[in-house]
Amino acid sequence: MSSSRFTPKGFPSVPLQNGIGRYICQLKRVTLRFCKSSGSSRGVRDFIETELISFAQDHPGTVVYLKPRRHKSPSFVAEYLNGEREVISCHNFSSHEMIKWLNLYATRSGIPLKRYLKMWHTECPSIQGVWSPFTNMDPALNITQFPSKKLSNPVWEEKSATEELLEKVKQQKISSDDENDDDNTHSNRAAQV
Amino acid sequence: MLSLRTTNCVLKVLKTARNEQSFHRWLAPTLRELKRRKDSQGPEKPVHRKSFLEWNYDSEIYAFSKRLGEDFNNDLLLKAFTERSYIIDEEEKQKSVGIEQPTLNLIDNKELVAKGSEFIDDIVKRYLRTVLPRLPEEGIIELHKYLTSVETLSHVSYHIGTPELILCADFPVEKLTMANVLKSIIAALIESSGENRAAIFVRDFILTQIADKDLLQFWDLQHPIKLLSDILARDNIQSPEPRLVGCSGKNTILACFRVGLYTPHNKQIIGLGVGETVDIAHEMAAIDGLRQLFGTPENILFPYNLELEQLCASTDKNLSVNEWSQKNLPVQPTNFELHQVKMTSSC
Repeated sequence: MSSSRFTPKGFPSVPLQNGIGRYICQLKRVTLRFCKSSGSSRGVRDFIETELISFAQDHPGTVVYLKPRRHKSPSFVAEYLNGEREVISCHNFSSHEMIKWLNLYATRSGIPLKRYLKMWHTECPSIQGVWSPFTNMDPALNITQFPSKKLSNPVWEEKSATEELLEKVKQQKISSDDENDDDNTHSNRAAQV
Repeated sequence: MLSLRTTNCVLKVLKTARNEQSFHRWLAPTLRELKRRKDSQGPEKPVHRKSFLEWNYDSEIYAFSKRLGEDFNNDLLLKAFTERSYIIDEEEKQKSVGIEQPTLNLIDNKELVAKGSEFIDDIVKRYLRTVLPRLPEEGIIELHKYLTSVETLSHVSYHIGTPELILCADFPVEKLTMANVLKSIIAALIESSGENRAAIFVRDFILTQIADKDLLQFWDLQHPIKLLSDILARDNIQSPEPRLVGCSGKNTILACFRVGLYTPHNKQIIGLGVGETVDIAHEMAAIDGLRQLFGTPENILFPYNLELEQLCASTDKNLSVNEWSQKNLPVQPTNFELHQVKMTSSC
């Protein structure tokens, strides 16, 4: 993110363990400021005429105030239980857009927007326990004397060309010995026959 | 469109011909001067929300009860929000105007605070004893002290939206006032909807404050090694044997030791602790052993669905640390069983 150095960052959080006991809508107050005549407030006026009653009924815990102001661009102020206050401009909004924005602000927690470092957060440690270097460690290591020659060696060592050659020679010798042995036994058998 | 554009062009030409500025040259200096004067006045004092034009106390009170999902008696709720300091303040205001005997139809919340405080104490202790039957009484008392402290109660009170509704002389509202108002709200709830609703309220708002916290942080265990061996001695188990289970970085600044405690008779591990020295690791192992005995693991989950009748009686008490032993533990339903009871009863 280009603005990541300046935007506040953190983990998702919730005020007052909201939802563990019961859910409280965090939006406590909303003030609609609009003009009764100007064109930019038309959507807000439509919203007030048609949708405001049902919005207020759906959110009985939110107090809705209407504040007509002459020749001012319309906006609404959302106030939250944690003391935060936000002003949202609704210049040239349609009635439908007003519903969407108000619903967004009614479902928010009021904690200022931030860049999430993770999309989840828990205060509880992991259920199976946090990993440590001791987890699943071989108990034999407790009584090992360090430095240990065996453990100091690399886990997997590549053979050098000389070693490989020597091994091949050795193998050849063994196989040739075997052949000789076979010949001997054959001759012995022949002698017996 | 074309005509409009041409007229604009013509107007522009006319303007330039008349040598007029296209912007106000006085604006920036004026704003700068206003800003300077405002800054010289110091920071703005906070104002009470009731001084705003958009403020309706009745709607706010209505929204408050709806927000919590409770049915309050309106008069009781108003009484719960009225502090003694507000009444005195108002009377003095009337006297200063010239009214000899001021009459105010307001009753302060003193009685409600006392009643609510008693109720909260009772419910919190009963709930803790029900869900933590193995935790010694000393631990219950410390947890109760944390949950009913002014700090916790004012935090809860602030976050359900009381500070603007309280009628009191102090502004910004003091923590003690907020805590008192929460108590009186609960007392008002007892009187308007009954004790069961009030108990659920206490459970949902006050008891959830310990939901994601480590319980032993509230109860500081002194000498855990001695405490563990004393407790085991009461169950006829010899004092546990500490053993070094693992260590890394010995003699360095990042040394780490891991000590396990084993029972001598059957070689069972009863506690495991990690620390930067062997002594600290031993102590941590003892605390871990006590955690397991007291049934308070770090990732404990509380059943937040108990109702008033599922809580133990207020006369019941947990065992004290000095007499705590596994033999003496009373037979009580565990958290899980309580959860099951709730699930079956709701079905």
